[in-house]
Amino acid sequence: MNSFYSNTDPDSFGFKVMANGDCALDICFASPPSEDLSRCIIGIRQSIQKQDFPGLVDLIPAYQCLTITFDPLTCDRRLLTQQLIELAQGVIESPPRLNRKPRTISIPVCYEEVFAPDMHTVSEYTKLSREEIIALHTHPPYLVHMLGFSPGFLYLGGLDPQLHCPRKHTPRLRISAGAVGIGGSQTGVYPQATPGGWQIIGQTPIGLFHPARDTPCIAEPLDTVKFHPVDITQFEAIRQSYPRAKYREKR
Amino acid sequence: MSICFTRAGLQTSVQDCGRPGLMHYGIPQGGAADPLAMTLANLILGNVTNIPVIEITLTGPRIEFGCDISIAITGAQFKVTLNGNPVNNFETIQIQRGDTLDFAQLISGARAYIGFSGKMVVPEILGSSATHLISHFGGHRCGAITAGDSIDFCDVRTAQTARLARKFHLHYAPHPQFRVVSGPDKHLFDDHVIEQFYHTTYAVSAQSNRMGIRLCHSSTTTRNESAFEHMISSGLYPGSIQIPPGTEPIISFVEGQTIGGYPRIAHVIKADLHRLGQLKPHDKVDFHPVGLAQAAQILREKHQRLFELQQGLAIDSKVSLTL
Repeated sequence: MNSFYSNTDPDSFGFKVMANGDCALDICFASPPSEDLSRCIIGIRQSIQKQDFPGLVDLIPAYQCLTITFDPLTCDRRLLTQQLIELAQGVIESPPRLNRKPRTISIPVCYEEVFAPDMHTVSEYTKLSREEIIALHTHPPYLVHMLGFSPGFLYLGGLDPQLHCPRKHTPRLRISAGAVGIGGSQTGVYPQATPGGWQIIGQTPIGLFHPARDTPCIAEPLDTVKFHPVDITQFEAIRQSYPRAKYREKR
Repeated sequence: MSICFTRAGLQTSVQDCGRPGLMHYGIPQGGAADPLAMTLANLILGNVTNIPVIEITLTGPRIEFGCDISIAITGAQFKVTLNGNPVNNFETIQIQRGDTLDFAQLISGARAYIGFSGKMVVPEILGSSATHLISHFGGHRCGAITAGDSIDFCDVRTAQTARLARKFHLHYAPHPQFRVVSGPDKHLFDDHVIEQFYHTTYAVSAQSNRMGIRLCHSSTTTRNESAFEHMISSGLYPGSIQIPPGTEPIISFVEGQTIGGYPRIAHVIKADLHRLGQLKPHDKVDFHPVGLAQAAQILREKHQRLFELQQGLAIDSKVSLTL
């Protein structure tokens, strides 16, 4: 259970399949998070979807893991484990063509003071000016590794190491929806108003989660996200023109 | 055809079986916190599966009915009256226009369910009418019901009178035991921490909600300082018991986050999950380890019992009872 399966090729991904509670199996990889590993995980997910195993409920990609949840009454765990090992080995040996072309999503961010209560903290910690922080934050294309934590939250890879900054000691009780933050080596946007411990350096006027739509989230794994800076006037203009999610209008 | 909540109760919401299959968007299944009690309410009324119900938490509402309708109350035991006369759980109650249903003192459990012989007019969002209370979508106006709210009904019929045999009534002890299997991060915990976990009686914290059930204990010996750094985050679903460094266990619940951030020591088995919905603050909780094969066997036995229950009720119902 604790040894990783691997092929003879030392560069290929080693993995193991292990129980995650009584209704899920995890395909876990030893390699650190990377674009190649995420492509492999999404490839495995695609192959599982094609197979149409009975009793499967959710396929949840993470940085180094794919979780497969199932109904134990209709799905035999041992059999599924064996099928997943074979399937994952097949995908690693000959990666399938992914059936969805990744997109680039541009997210406008206003970094002005009113939306950036922790800009000074990040500036002090990183010894960078506000302008340098904005330049570094808007420069890279960020890879969407997976969605999760809360509805519509994007786990992004690619934050410049110069911008790494520890979380707040005491999390804020309420961070507004759309807040853009840095937490350790990660950056991201809060889709909902929630408590949170990230350092907030900006705010996007667009919504990340639209439950009334068939496609409720703005991105999928392997898409890339670019942040582009907007000033307050542009922020307001985008906010006014952006179709607000129905669920927000009602409350 | 509508009902009006003249008092809302602490957290009263529209729920159904939730939204399975969307965890890759970060959307947990949600739905009724005690799906078994919810399904029983629909079963007694001869409803099809997944007709939305009203979930009531700790303190109940007062409802004025603007139409004739049949209802059934299941789950937590409250003192409930209809126009001042006591009514029972687990049986059909025939309501007439103008009647008032009033939930008073909670006697046992935490969440009661009201099923109806009609469909609530609430929008379907992502395939379900369930209220996601943490992220504010779905259900009646995207949140808990507030005093003065009315809900419309359609397709209302009169259900034949039925009663669940007493031996099938659900009872909720204030000190339940939950059976668990090992968690995926068990290897990150020291043996003595695991030992301690299974020998500790925890109390349910008042900080608990539909996202997570927080546990507390006067001693701090199950605290786990070291396990954090080597863990590989993976899918998190109801029943996962995480122990964040320096704090106490949290059981992932119906609206929990979908990817884990903290080491998981154990996982409540599927057959016992519905009982998590009946935990209230200050209840005591014990955990008992079982193997994966045993967990599957317990689940099969429970389903056999549910099948017998359904046969015993002898109602022409399209509900298939499931956990």
